[in-house]
Amino acid sequence: MKDTISSTFILLLALTIIAAFLALNVSAEIMATAVVTLALIKFWLVAFQFMELKKAHPFWKYLILGFGGLMGIILVILL
Amino acid sequence: MNNTKSIYYPPGGILIWIIIYLELITFGMAILALAYYGSEERELFHSSSLKLNKTIGTINTILLLTSGFFVAKGICFFKAANIKKALFYFNWAMLGGFGFLVLKSFEYYEKLEAGLHMDYNSFFRFYWLLTGFHFIHVLVGLVILLVITFSIRKKQTEASFEDIEASASFWHMCDLIWLLLFPVLYLLF
Repeated sequence: MKDTISSTFILLLALTIIAAFLALNVSAEIMATAVVTLALIKFWLVAFQFMELKKAHPFWKYLILGFGGLMGIILVILL
Repeated sequence: MNNTKSIYYPPGGILIWIIIYLELITFGMAILALAYYGSEERELFHSSSLKLNKTIGTINTILLLTSGFFVAKGICFFKAANIKKALFYFNWAMLGGFGFLVLKSFEYYEKLEAGLHMDYNSFFRFYWLLTGFHFIHVLVGLVILLVITFSIRKKQTEASFEDIEASASFWHMCDLIWLLLFPVLYLLF
């Protein structure tokens, strides 16, 4: 059986370090979109893999995808 | 164990998911308000954000993610009826959560020493309210994990699988909130 929890965790750590690096080294215009996108990927990884939403009814999956997507779009517009 | 494919039985049960969405919406609205005021007062929010310690913020993110990872592993072992290993992972998860609280308390102490309290400016009002409420959630999550761990240890079948999974979901919810809060407060202004 593949250990998806461990691989998800390694991916989450990598994305956290990449986000911190981008925040320090990239221009403000690109940075906002990049950091919000990375945050959303991490948000969905935790929800789907750690909280096992991948096994849930599509209603719960679309709700978390919709919430994250809406937050991301509004944040990018505002920032 | 319930059928998680049913709309009425998401992992951990429907009640915890109603709470999770209510919390996400509440924090989400406050984060959007922070972003809105930040777009109105860019200079103020930028200079205030520079006063936050990004290294502590990043370490705290790693601590919460690591703790969430241990909880997810603990759930896997609990499902496989390997109680000893499940307890081992839950203990490490609590240690991660405790580490988060200690580091956050140190950060709060630093801010108070520097005079960056809630009335300092609008950015720090958001900082204290949002991170303060999140701190309380982590504290509550830690107590829930502690109770569940004791319950499993005391009599191994006392806590039902759904109780354990709901507690884990609450803990992961703290991760979810922090994953939205951290970039907006520490990185984006």
